[in-house]
Amino acid sequence: MIALIRYTLATTIHGQRYLAPVLLFCAGVGISSGSDSGPLPGVYALNSGILLVCATWLTMAVISVEDPTHRAITVVAARGPVKVLAATIAVSALFAVGLTIIGLGLPLLMNPRPITAADLPAGALAHLLCASLGLAVGLLCSRLVIRRQGYALLTALALVTAALLTTGSPPNTLFKGMANTNKAADVLPTAAALLPIGLAVLAVAAVITHVISIRRD
Amino acid sequence: MLSVEAVSKRYGGGNWVLREVDLTVEPGAVVAIVGGNGSGKSTLLRLMVGVSRPTAGTVSGRPDVVGYVPERFPPNERLSAAAYLEHLGRIRGMNSIAAAERAEELLERLDLQGGFDAQVRTLSKGNAQKVALAQALLVPPGLLVLDEPWSGLDADAHGVLATIIAEVAAAGGAVVFTDHRESVTRANATRIHRIHDGRIAEATAPGRAIVEVALTQSGQDTEDPGWDEVDGVLTAVTHQGQLFVRVDRDHSDALLTIALRHGWSIDSVTPEKAAP
Repeated sequence: MIALIRYTLATTIHGQRYLAPVLLFCAGVGISSGSDSGPLPGVYALNSGILLVCATWLTMAVISVEDPTHRAITVVAARGPVKVLAATIAVSALFAVGLTIIGLGLPLLMNPRPITAADLPAGALAHLLCASLGLAVGLLCSRLVIRRQGYALLTALALVTAALLTTGSPPNTLFKGMANTNKAADVLPTAAALLPIGLAVLAVAAVITHVISIRRD
Repeated sequence: MLSVEAVSKRYGGGNWVLREVDLTVEPGAVVAIVGGNGSGKSTLLRLMVGVSRPTAGTVSGRPDVVGYVPERFPPNERLSAAAYLEHLGRIRGMNSIAAAERAEELLERLDLQGGFDAQVRTLSKGNAQKVALAQALLVPPGLLVLDEPWSGLDADAHGVLATIIAEVAAAGGAVVFTDHRESVTRANATRIHRIHDGRIAEATAPGRAIVEVALTQSGQDTEDPGWDEVDGVLTAVTHQGQLFVRVDRDHSDALLTIALRHGWSIDSVTPEKAAP
Protein backbone atom coordinates (compact mmCIF):
# COMPACT_ATOMS: atom_id res chain seq x y z
CA MET A 1 0.00 0.00 0.00
CA ILE A 2 2.87 2.37 0.92
CA ALA A 3 4.47 1.54 -2.44
CA LEU A 4 1.28 2.46 -4.29
CA ILE A 5 0.94 5.72 -2.37
CA ARG A 6 4.56 6.60 -3.14
CA TYR A 7 4.02 5.82 -6.82
CA THR A 8 0.79 7.85 -6.99
CA LEU A 9 2.48 10.74 -5.21
CA ALA A 10 5.45 10.61 -7.60
CA THR A 11 3.29 10.58 -10.74
CA THR A 12 1.10 13.35 -9.33
CA ILE A 13 4.06 15.58 -8.55
CA HIS A 14 5.72 14.90 -11.90
CA GLY A 15 2.39 15.46 -13.67
CA GLN A 16 2.15 19.03 -12.29
CA ARG A 17 -1.62 19.13 -12.64
CA TYR A 18 -1.86 19.58 -8.89
CA LEU A 19 -0.23 23.01 -9.21
CA ALA A 20 -3.27 24.92 -10.46
CA PRO A 21 -5.60 24.04 -7.55
CA VAL A 22 -2.78 24.49 -5.01
CA LEU A 23 -1.91 27.94 -6.38
CA LEU A 24 -5.59 28.88 -6.53
CA PHE A 25 -5.93 27.92 -2.89
CA CYS A 26 -2.86 29.90 -1.84
CA ALA A 27 -4.08 32.96 -3.75
CA GLY A 28 -7.58 32.67 -2.29
CA VAL A 29 -6.27 32.23 1.24
CA GLY A 30 -3.84 35.11 0.73
CA ILE A 31 -6.71 37.43 -0.15
CA SER A 32 -9.03 36.23 2.61
CA SER A 33 -6.32 36.53 5.24
CA GLY A 34 -5.67 40.23 4.57
CA SER A 35 -5.71 42.93 7.22
CA ASP A 36 -9.37 43.96 7.16
CA SER A 37 -10.98 40.55 6.92
CA GLY A 38 -12.42 40.45 10.44
CA PRO A 39 -12.21 37.88 13.24
CA LEU A 40 -10.41 34.56 12.79
CA PRO A 41 -13.46 32.21 12.72
CA GLY A 42 -14.88 34.10 9.73
CA VAL A 43 -11.54 33.92 7.90
CA TYR A 44 -11.29 30.19 8.58
CA ALA A 45 -14.83 29.69 7.26
CA LEU A 46 -13.90 31.41 4.01
CA ASN A 47 -10.64 29.43 3.69
CA SER A 48 -12.54 26.20 4.25
CA GLY A 49 -14.93 27.12 1.45
CA ILE A 50 -11.99 27.71 -0.89
CA LEU A 51 -10.52 24.39 0.23
CA LEU A 52 -13.70 22.56 -0.79
CA VAL A 53 -13.38 23.89 -4.35
CA CYS A 54 -9.63 23.19 -4.53
CA ALA A 55 -9.87 19.71 -3.00
CA THR A 56 -12.42 18.78 -5.66
CA TRP A 57 -10.15 20.01 -8.44
CA LEU A 58 -7.10 18.40 -6.85
CA THR A 59 -8.75 14.98 -6.56
CA MET A 60 -9.87 15.10 -10.19
CA ALA A 61 -6.31 16.07 -11.15
CA VAL A 62 -4.71 13.26 -9.12
CA ILE A 63 -6.96 10.68 -10.78
CA SER A 64 -6.53 12.00 -14.31
CA VAL A 65 -2.71 11.95 -14.12
CA GLU A 66 -2.81 8.25 -14.97
CA ASP A 67 -4.53 7.55 -18.24
CA PRO A 68 -6.70 4.40 -18.45
CA THR A 69 -4.01 2.17 -19.99
CA HIS A 70 -1.51 3.24 -17.39
CA ARG A 71 -4.00 2.57 -14.65
CA ALA A 72 -4.61 -0.89 -16.11
CA ILE A 73 -0.92 -1.74 -15.67
CA THR A 74 -0.96 -0.44 -12.10
CA VAL A 75 -4.15 -2.37 -11.31
CA VAL A 76 -2.58 -5.61 -12.59
CA ALA A 77 0.61 -4.97 -10.60
CA ALA A 78 -1.38 -4.18 -7.44
CA ARG A 79 -3.67 -7.18 -8.04
CA GLY A 80 -6.90 -5.26 -8.05
CA PRO A 81 -8.43 -1.80 -8.41
CA VAL A 82 -9.40 -1.25 -4.75
CA LYS A 83 -5.87 -0.54 -3.55
CA VAL A 84 -5.18 1.73 -6.51
CA LEU A 85 -8.28 3.81 -5.72
CA ALA A 86 -7.36 3.86 -2.02
CA ALA A 87 -3.88 5.15 -2.87
CA THR A 88 -5.42 7.90 -5.01
CA ILE A 89 -7.67 8.94 -2.13
CA ALA A 90 -4.73 8.84 0.29
CA VAL A 91 -2.62 11.11 -1.93
CA SER A 92 -5.49 13.56 -2.41
CA ALA A 93 -6.03 13.56 1.35
CA LEU A 94 -2.31 14.24 1.94
CA PHE A 95 -2.50 17.28 -0.33
CA ALA A 96 -5.69 18.41 1.40
CA VAL A 97 -4.01 18.17 4.81
CA GLY A 98 -1.13 20.26 3.47
CA LEU A 99 -3.60 22.88 2.25
CA THR A 100 -5.37 22.77 5.61
CA ILE A 101 -2.11 23.71 7.33
CA ILE A 102 -1.67 26.62 4.91
CA GLY A 103 -5.30 27.67 5.41
CA LEU A 104 -4.89 27.70 9.18
CA GLY A 105 -1.40 29.20 9.34
CA LEU A 106 -1.42 31.92 6.68
CA PRO A 107 -3.99 34.20 8.38
CA LEU A 108 -1.88 34.14 11.54
CA LEU A 109 1.35 34.85 9.68
CA MET A 110 0.01 37.61 7.46
CA ASN A 111 -1.89 39.57 10.05
CA PRO A 112 -1.52 39.11 13.80
CA ARG A 113 -4.95 39.08 15.38
CA PRO A 114 -6.52 37.94 18.65
CA ILE A 115 -6.60 34.17 18.88
CA THR A 116 -8.48 31.98 21.35
CA ALA A 117 -7.80 28.38 22.29
CA ALA A 118 -10.79 27.18 20.28
CA ASP A 119 -9.92 29.00 17.05
CA LEU A 120 -7.45 26.49 15.68
CA PRO A 121 -9.45 23.33 16.51
CA ALA A 122 -12.64 24.84 15.08
CA GLY A 123 -10.79 26.03 11.97
CA ALA A 124 -9.12 22.65 11.53
CA LEU A 125 -12.45 20.81 11.82
CA ALA A 126 -14.04 23.16 9.26
CA HIS A 127 -11.11 22.64 6.87
CA LEU A 128 -11.21 18.86 7.25
CA LEU A 129 -15.00 18.77 6.75
CA CYS A 130 -14.62 20.73 3.51
CA ALA A 131 -11.61 18.64 2.43
CA SER A 132 -13.54 15.39 2.80
CA LEU A 133 -16.55 16.79 0.93
CA GLY A 134 -14.23 18.16 -1.77
CA LEU A 135 -12.55 14.76 -2.12
CA ALA A 136 -15.98 13.12 -2.37
CA VAL A 137 -17.15 15.46 -5.15
CA GLY A 138 -13.78 15.07 -6.90
CA LEU A 139 -14.09 11.28 -6.88
CA LEU A 140 -17.63 11.35 -8.24
CA CYS A 141 -16.65 13.76 -11.01
CA SER A 142 -13.37 12.02 -11.88
CA ARG A 143 -12.69 10.19 -15.11
CA LEU A 144 -13.47 6.92 -13.34
CA VAL A 145 -17.13 7.93 -13.10
CA ILE A 146 -17.74 10.61 -15.75
CA ARG A 147 -15.71 9.99 -18.89
CA ARG A 148 -16.45 13.26 -20.65
CA GLN A 149 -14.50 16.12 -19.15
CA GLY A 150 -17.06 18.80 -20.00
CA TYR A 151 -19.84 17.02 -18.16
CA ALA A 152 -17.49 16.23 -15.28
CA LEU A 153 -16.61 19.92 -14.88
CA LEU A 154 -20.25 21.04 -14.96
CA THR A 155 -21.28 18.37 -12.47
CA ALA A 156 -18.39 19.29 -10.18
CA LEU A 157 -19.36 22.97 -10.31
CA ALA A 158 -23.00 22.16 -9.54
CA LEU A 159 -22.12 19.86 -6.64
CA VAL A 160 -19.58 22.25 -5.12
CA THR A 161 -22.00 25.17 -5.38
CA ALA A 162 -24.77 23.07 -3.83
CA ALA A 163 -22.51 21.92 -0.99
CA LEU A 164 -21.47 25.50 -0.16
CA LEU A 165 -24.68 27.42 -0.70
CA THR A 166 -27.57 25.07 0.12
CA THR A 167 -29.07 26.12 3.45
CA GLY A 168 -28.65 23.28 5.92
CA SER A 169 -25.73 21.59 4.17
CA PRO A 170 -22.91 20.80 6.66
CA PRO A 171 -20.45 23.43 5.37
CA ASN A 172 -23.17 26.05 5.01
CA THR A 173 -24.41 25.46 8.56
CA LEU A 174 -20.89 25.63 9.96
CA PHE A 175 -19.90 28.73 7.94
CA LYS A 176 -22.95 30.65 9.15
CA GLY A 177 -22.06 29.77 12.72
CA MET A 178 -18.44 30.83 12.25
CA ALA A 179 -19.20 34.05 10.39
CA ASN A 180 -21.61 35.25 13.06
CA THR A 181 -19.35 34.81 16.06
CA ASN A 182 -15.97 35.93 17.21
CA LYS A 183 -15.80 33.19 19.81
CA ALA A 184 -14.86 29.95 18.09
CA ALA A 185 -15.74 27.96 21.21
CA ASP A 186 -19.42 28.49 20.32
CA VAL A 187 -19.12 26.57 17.03
CA LEU A 188 -16.71 23.89 18.19
CA PRO A 189 -19.45 21.34 19.10
CA THR A 190 -21.20 21.87 15.74
CA ALA A 191 -17.91 21.47 13.86
CA ALA A 192 -17.06 18.29 15.78
CA ALA A 193 -20.50 16.85 15.06
CA LEU A 194 -20.37 17.67 11.33
CA LEU A 195 -16.93 16.18 10.54
CA PRO A 196 -18.14 12.55 10.80
CA ILE A 197 -20.86 13.41 8.27
CA GLY A 198 -18.19 14.67 5.87
CA LEU A 199 -16.13 11.51 6.32
CA ALA A 200 -19.21 9.34 5.79
CA VAL A 201 -20.01 11.18 2.55
CA LEU A 202 -16.42 10.58 1.44
CA ALA A 203 -16.69 6.87 2.21
CA VAL A 204 -19.96 6.56 0.27
CA ALA A 205 -18.46 8.47 -2.66
CA ALA A 206 -15.45 6.14 -2.68
CA VAL A 207 -17.68 3.06 -2.79
CA ILE A 208 -19.83 4.53 -5.59
CA THR A 209 -16.69 5.44 -7.57
CA HIS A 210 -15.30 1.93 -7.16
CA VAL A 211 -18.54 0.23 -8.21
CA ILE A 212 -19.07 2.46 -11.25
CA SER A 213 -15.44 2.28 -12.38
CA ILE A 214 -15.31 -1.53 -12.35
CA ARG A 215 -18.64 -1.72 -14.16
CA ARG A 216 -17.29 0.57 -16.85
CA ASP A 217 -14.18 -1.49 -17.51
CA MET B 1 -4.84 -23.07 -14.89
CA LEU B 2 -6.48 -19.97 -16.31
CA SER B 3 -9.87 -20.76 -17.67
CA VAL B 4 -12.26 -18.48 -19.47
CA GLU B 5 -15.74 -19.99 -19.51
CA ALA B 6 -18.66 -18.82 -21.65
CA VAL B 7 -17.49 -15.24 -21.37
CA SER B 8 -19.43 -12.52 -23.13
CA LYS B 9 -18.62 -8.86 -22.94
CA ARG B 10 -20.18 -5.62 -23.98
CA TYR B 11 -19.63 -2.06 -22.84
CA GLY B 12 -22.79 -0.36 -21.57
CA GLY B 13 -25.62 -1.16 -23.93
CA GLY B 14 -23.36 -1.42 -26.98
CA ASN B 15 -22.68 -4.31 -29.32
CA TRP B 16 -21.30 -7.56 -27.99
CA VAL B 17 -17.51 -7.43 -28.23
CA LEU B 18 -17.11 -11.08 -27.17
CA ARG B 19 -19.70 -13.83 -27.30
CA GLU B 20 -19.56 -17.11 -25.39
CA VAL B 21 -15.79 -17.36 -25.44
CA ASP B 22 -14.24 -20.52 -23.94
CA LEU B 23 -10.49 -20.80 -23.54
CA THR B 24 -8.12 -22.51 -21.16
CA VAL B 25 -4.46 -21.72 -20.85
CA GLU B 26 -2.42 -24.30 -18.99
CA PRO B 27 0.96 -23.55 -17.39
CA GLY B 28 3.77 -23.63 -19.92
CA ALA B 29 1.49 -22.97 -22.89
CA VAL B 30 2.13 -20.17 -25.34
CA VAL B 31 -1.18 -19.18 -26.86
CA ALA B 32 -1.51 -16.79 -29.76
CA ILE B 33 -4.77 -15.02 -30.45
CA VAL B 34 -5.10 -13.71 -33.95
CA GLY B 35 -7.84 -11.64 -35.49
CA GLY B 36 -8.48 -8.43 -37.37
CA ASN B 37 -8.87 -4.97 -35.91
CA GLY B 38 -11.84 -4.72 -33.56
CA SER B 39 -12.29 -8.50 -33.39
CA GLY B 40 -12.17 -8.42 -29.56
CA LYS B 41 -8.55 -9.54 -29.04
CA SER B 42 -7.59 -6.75 -26.66
CA THR B 43 -10.85 -7.06 -24.74
CA LEU B 44 -10.22 -10.77 -24.21
CA LEU B 45 -6.74 -10.02 -22.88
CA ARG B 46 -8.10 -7.35 -20.51
CA LEU B 47 -10.58 -9.90 -19.17
CA MET B 48 -7.80 -12.45 -18.67
CA VAL B 49 -5.64 -10.12 -16.58
CA GLY B 50 -8.62 -8.91 -14.56
CA VAL B 51 -8.60 -5.26 -15.61
CA SER B 52 -12.02 -5.76 -17.10
CA ARG B 53 -14.94 -7.86 -15.90
CA PRO B 54 -17.05 -10.13 -18.09
CA THR B 55 -20.68 -9.18 -18.68
CA ALA B 56 -21.54 -12.88 -18.55
CA GLY B 57 -19.45 -15.99 -17.82
CA THR B 58 -16.42 -16.40 -15.57
CA VAL B 59 -12.66 -16.10 -15.68
CA SER B 60 -11.03 -18.31 -13.03
CA GLY B 61 -7.68 -19.73 -12.02
CA ARG B 62 -5.68 -16.56 -12.58
CA PRO B 63 -2.17 -17.01 -11.14
CA ASP B 64 -0.93 -14.69 -8.38
CA VAL B 65 1.63 -12.92 -10.48
CA VAL B 66 0.28 -11.56 -13.76
CA GLY B 67 2.30 -9.51 -16.21
CA TYR B 68 0.32 -7.34 -18.61
CA VAL B 69 1.76 -5.44 -21.54
CA PRO B 70 -0.87 -3.27 -23.21
CA GLU B 71 -0.80 -2.54 -26.90
CA ARG B 72 0.38 1.02 -26.49
CA PHE B 73 2.36 2.20 -23.52
CA PRO B 74 0.84 5.55 -22.58
CA PRO B 75 2.96 8.40 -23.91
CA ASN B 76 2.53 10.74 -20.95
CA GLU B 77 4.65 9.02 -18.30
CA ARG B 78 6.92 11.64 -16.80
CA LEU B 79 8.86 9.33 -14.50
CA SER B 80 12.12 7.94 -15.81
CA ALA B 81 12.21 4.33 -16.98
CA ALA B 82 14.33 3.33 -13.97
CA ALA B 83 12.10 5.18 -11.47
CA TYR B 84 8.89 3.85 -13.01
CA LEU B 85 10.11 0.26 -12.87
CA GLU B 86 11.39 0.69 -9.33
CA HIS B 87 7.96 1.94 -8.24
CA LEU B 88 6.17 -0.94 -9.98
CA GLY B 89 8.62 -3.43 -8.46
CA ARG B 90 7.79 -2.11 -5.01
CA ILE B 91 4.06 -2.29 -5.78
CA ARG B 92 4.66 -5.93 -6.64
CA GLY B 93 6.26 -6.45 -3.24
CA MET B 94 9.98 -6.17 -4.03
CA ASN B 95 12.28 -4.00 -1.96
CA SER B 96 13.79 -0.90 -3.58
CA ILE B 97 17.24 -2.38 -4.16
CA ALA B 98 15.98 -5.63 -5.67
CA ALA B 99 13.51 -3.73 -7.86
CA ALA B 100 16.20 -1.34 -9.13
CA GLU B 101 18.61 -4.18 -9.87
CA ARG B 102 15.99 -6.23 -11.67
CA ALA B 103 14.87 -3.18 -13.66
CA GLU B 104 18.42 -2.46 -14.78
CA GLU B 105 18.99 -6.10 -15.71
CA LEU B 106 15.81 -6.17 -17.84
CA LEU B 107 16.46 -2.83 -19.52
CA GLU B 108 20.00 -3.90 -20.38
CA ARG B 109 18.76 -7.17 -21.77
CA LEU B 110 16.14 -5.40 -23.88
CA ASP B 111 18.79 -2.86 -24.85
CA LEU B 112 16.79 0.24 -23.98
CA GLN B 113 18.05 3.22 -25.94
CA GLY B 114 17.61 6.80 -24.79
CA GLY B 115 18.77 6.39 -21.21
CA PHE B 116 17.40 4.64 -18.15
CA ASP B 117 17.04 8.01 -16.43
CA ALA B 118 15.22 9.76 -19.26
CA GLN B 119 11.49 10.39 -18.87
CA VAL B 120 9.54 7.56 -20.47
CA ARG B 121 7.52 10.03 -22.54
CA THR B 122 10.69 11.19 -24.30
CA LEU B 123 11.48 7.65 -25.48
CA SER B 124 10.54 6.37 -28.92
CA LYS B 125 7.55 4.05 -29.24
CA GLY B 126 9.72 0.93 -29.40
CA ASN B 127 11.74 1.93 -26.35
CA ALA B 128 8.61 2.78 -24.37
CA GLN B 129 7.35 -0.68 -25.32
CA LYS B 130 10.52 -2.15 -23.83
CA VAL B 131 9.74 -0.40 -20.54
CA ALA B 132 6.21 -1.83 -20.69
CA LEU B 133 7.66 -5.27 -21.27
CA ALA B 134 10.16 -4.89 -18.43
CA GLN B 135 7.45 -3.96 -15.89
CA ALA B 136 5.58 -7.18 -16.70
CA LEU B 137 8.71 -9.27 -16.03
CA LEU B 138 9.93 -7.67 -12.79
CA VAL B 139 8.60 -10.66 -10.88
CA PRO B 140 8.58 -13.87 -12.96
CA PRO B 141 4.93 -14.05 -14.03
CA GLY B 142 2.63 -17.05 -13.74
CA LEU B 143 0.65 -15.51 -16.57
CA LEU B 144 2.17 -13.15 -19.11
CA VAL B 145 -0.28 -11.36 -21.36
CA LEU B 146 1.06 -9.34 -24.27
CA ASP B 147 -1.03 -7.24 -26.62
CA GLU B 148 0.75 -6.92 -29.97
CA PRO B 149 4.14 -6.98 -28.27
CA TRP B 150 6.19 -6.96 -31.45
CA SER B 151 4.78 -3.74 -32.84
CA GLY B 152 7.39 -1.03 -32.68
CA LEU B 153 10.21 -3.26 -31.44
CA ASP B 154 13.41 -3.40 -33.46
CA ALA B 155 14.82 -6.63 -34.92
CA ASP B 156 17.22 -7.26 -32.01
CA ALA B 157 14.43 -6.90 -29.49
CA HIS B 158 12.28 -9.33 -31.52
CA GLY B 159 14.76 -12.08 -30.78
CA VAL B 160 15.01 -11.14 -27.09
CA LEU B 161 11.22 -11.10 -26.80
CA ALA B 162 10.93 -14.53 -28.41
CA THR B 163 13.51 -15.85 -25.95
CA ILE B 164 11.76 -14.23 -22.99
CA ILE B 165 8.44 -15.81 -24.01
CA ALA B 166 10.13 -19.20 -24.27
CA GLU B 167 11.77 -18.73 -20.87
CA VAL B 168 8.52 -17.75 -19.13
CA ALA B 169 6.83 -20.83 -20.60
CA ALA B 170 9.77 -23.07 -19.66
CA ALA B 171 9.53 -21.81 -16.06
CA GLY B 172 5.92 -22.95 -15.94
CA GLY B 173 4.27 -19.64 -16.77
CA ALA B 174 1.46 -19.33 -19.27
CA VAL B 175 1.86 -16.83 -22.09
CA VAL B 176 -0.94 -15.31 -24.15
CA PHE B 177 -0.21 -12.84 -26.91
CA THR B 178 -1.85 -11.30 -29.91
CA ASP B 179 -0.37 -10.42 -33.25
CA HIS B 180 -1.77 -10.07 -36.70
CA ARG B 181 1.23 -11.54 -38.53
CA GLU B 182 1.16 -15.25 -39.30
CA SER B 183 4.94 -15.57 -39.30
CA VAL B 184 5.24 -14.22 -35.77
CA THR B 185 2.45 -16.29 -34.26
CA ARG B 186 3.60 -19.46 -35.98
CA ALA B 187 7.13 -18.99 -34.77
CA ASN B 188 6.32 -18.41 -31.12
CA ALA B 189 3.04 -20.03 -30.17
CA THR B 190 2.31 -23.60 -29.21
CA ARG B 191 -1.36 -22.98 -30.01
CA ILE B 192 -3.19 -20.47 -32.14
CA HIS B 193 -6.76 -19.29 -31.66
CA ARG B 194 -8.51 -17.24 -34.27
CA ILE B 195 -11.00 -14.68 -33.10
CA HIS B 196 -13.57 -13.22 -35.43
CA ASP B 197 -16.56 -11.04 -34.67
CA GLY B 198 -16.29 -11.77 -30.93
CA ARG B 199 -16.26 -15.55 -31.32
CA ILE B 200 -13.19 -17.67 -30.81
CA ALA B 201 -12.31 -20.67 -32.93
CA GLU B 202 -10.88 -23.99 -31.74
CA ALA B 203 -7.11 -24.02 -31.37
CA THR B 204 -4.95 -24.96 -34.28
CA ALA B 205 -1.40 -26.13 -33.88
CA PRO B 206 1.00 -23.87 -35.67
CA GLY B 207 1.50 -25.61 -39.02
CA ARG B 208 5.24 -25.48 -39.03
CA ALA B 209 8.19 -27.78 -38.91
CA ILE B 210 11.00 -26.59 -36.70
CA VAL B 211 14.45 -28.00 -36.20
CA GLU B 212 16.64 -27.39 -33.20
CA VAL B 213 20.32 -27.27 -34.05
CA ALA B 214 22.93 -27.54 -31.29
CA LEU B 215 26.30 -26.01 -32.09
CA THR B 216 29.63 -25.58 -30.33
CA GLN B 217 32.59 -23.43 -31.18
CA SER B 218 35.23 -25.68 -32.69
CA GLY B 219 38.24 -23.43 -32.19
CA GLN B 220 39.70 -19.95 -32.17
CA ASP B 221 38.52 -19.18 -35.69
CA THR B 222 34.83 -19.52 -34.91
CA GLU B 223 32.87 -16.41 -35.92
CA ASP B 224 29.41 -15.26 -34.91
CA PRO B 225 27.43 -14.74 -38.11
CA GLY B 226 24.66 -12.89 -36.22
CA TRP B 227 22.29 -15.79 -35.68
CA ASP B 228 19.13 -13.75 -35.17
CA GLU B 229 19.59 -12.26 -38.63
CA VAL B 230 19.87 -15.57 -40.46
CA ASP B 231 16.79 -16.53 -42.52
CA GLY B 232 14.30 -18.71 -40.71
CA VAL B 233 15.90 -18.42 -37.25
CA LEU B 234 13.30 -18.20 -34.48
CA THR B 235 15.51 -18.14 -31.40
CA ALA B 236 19.21 -18.52 -30.68
CA VAL B 237 20.13 -19.20 -27.06
CA THR B 238 23.45 -20.12 -25.48
CA HIS B 239 23.20 -22.72 -22.74
CA GLN B 240 26.20 -24.24 -20.95
CA GLY B 241 28.60 -23.52 -23.76
CA GLN B 242 26.30 -24.82 -26.46
CA LEU B 243 24.35 -22.68 -28.83
CA PHE B 244 20.80 -23.83 -29.55
CA VAL B 245 19.25 -22.39 -32.66
CA ARG B 246 15.61 -23.05 -33.49
CA VAL B 247 15.11 -22.70 -37.19
CA ASP B 248 12.36 -23.26 -39.73
CA ARG B 249 12.81 -26.64 -41.49
CA ASP B 250 12.87 -24.90 -44.87
CA HIS B 251 15.93 -22.91 -43.85
CA SER B 252 17.79 -25.47 -41.73
CA ASP B 253 20.11 -26.69 -44.49
CA ALA B 254 21.18 -23.16 -45.28
CA LEU B 255 21.77 -22.53 -41.59
CA LEU B 256 24.00 -25.60 -41.29
CA THR B 257 26.05 -24.40 -44.24
CA ILE B 258 26.51 -21.01 -42.62
CA ALA B 259 27.46 -22.63 -39.31
CA LEU B 260 30.12 -24.83 -40.91
CA ARG B 261 31.49 -21.99 -42.96
CA HIS B 262 31.93 -19.86 -39.81
CA GLY B 263 33.83 -22.58 -38.05
CA TRP B 264 31.10 -24.02 -35.81
CA SER B 265 30.80 -27.68 -35.03
CA ILE B 266 27.37 -29.29 -35.28
CA ASP B 267 26.46 -31.41 -32.24
CA SER B 268 22.92 -32.38 -33.11
CA VAL B 269 19.97 -31.63 -35.36
CA THR B 270 16.62 -32.46 -33.79
CA PRO B 271 13.21 -31.99 -35.39
CA GLU B 272 10.90 -30.29 -32.88
CA LYS B 273 7.53 -31.91 -32.38
CA ALA B 274 4.55 -29.73 -33.16
CA ALA B 275 2.44 -29.07 -30.08
CA PRO B 276 -0.70 -31.18 -29.87
